[in-house]
Amino acid sequence: MEHLLATIGRNMFAIFGVLALCGAAFMVAAKSAVHSVLGFLFTMLCIAGCFLALEAEFLGMAQILVYAGGIVVLFLFVVMLVELSKYKEKAIFQLQTRSAVIAVLIGAVAFLVAFRDIFFGNASSEALVLRPELAKGLNVAAENAQAVSRGLFSDYLLPFEILSVILLVALVGAVVLAKTERV
Amino acid sequence: MVNLNAVLLISFLLFSIGIAGVLIRRNALVILMCVELMLNAANLNFIAFARHSGSVSGQAFALLVMGFAAAEVAVGLALVVALYRKRDTVQVDDINLLKG
Repeated sequence: MEHLLATIGRNMFAIFGVLALCGAAFMVAAKSAVHSVLGFLFTMLCIAGCFLALEAEFLGMAQILVYAGGIVVLFLFVVMLVELSKYKEKAIFQLQTRSAVIAVLIGAVAFLVAFRDIFFGNASSEALVLRPELAKGLNVAAENAQAVSRGLFSDYLLPFEILSVILLVALVGAVVLAKTERV
Repeated sequence: MVNLNAVLLISFLLFSIGIAGVLIRRNALVILMCVELMLNAANLNFIAFARHSGSVSGQAFALLVMGFAAAEVAVGLALVVALYRKRDTVQVDDINLLKG
């Protein structure tokens, strides 16, 4: 049992990654938009798990808060608002599905051929390790949040402030776009 | 112990699924979700490289991307609602206002 738990702990990233891929595939293939939103929620939670496995604790929690708490609810609201069952859906996929799938497959094969050595050659056994002198700041949950905030409010202060302006513009833009004509 | 290449591979596959969804789905809501998925795949790369280099820049930038994604979703969903008011549909095949 302990051995099993240790194995799971070691492979946490792979488990969450594969689950995220399954959720994403379900999201794309699901017929109903509500099912798609549920697949999206599952994928986002699994990606948050990936973040935790990569020792980005603060971002993992932020991912759960922002996506599962905010964006998925927003999507669900709109899905229920637009009443998708009203019209008859001719087909889920667009007309150019076949060419799109072929293009994606060709791209994937080209990518794998080009990067075969990196993924499956000798270099792939090289582990992802922290720089020892910086490892302390990224390790523990509390210190991770401290490190992120220190980076955000010193080196990335200008992008951070610009992002706040972008959020304000998006807020006003969303209200203007969604309001009714007669107001 | 996480292998950097495993992270890159999973991020690549997530991004591919997102692109495939944008290309082949007709529902504007699902297309928006697929765009979010692509942004998340990019975030995964940011965090993997932040961990790889021991620098916190990648994580800070991933947080910025997350906020940007939230803004994008708000505007995108407002567009979908406005479109539904005007054309009574959210299928991208039926949206041909510019064609006249």
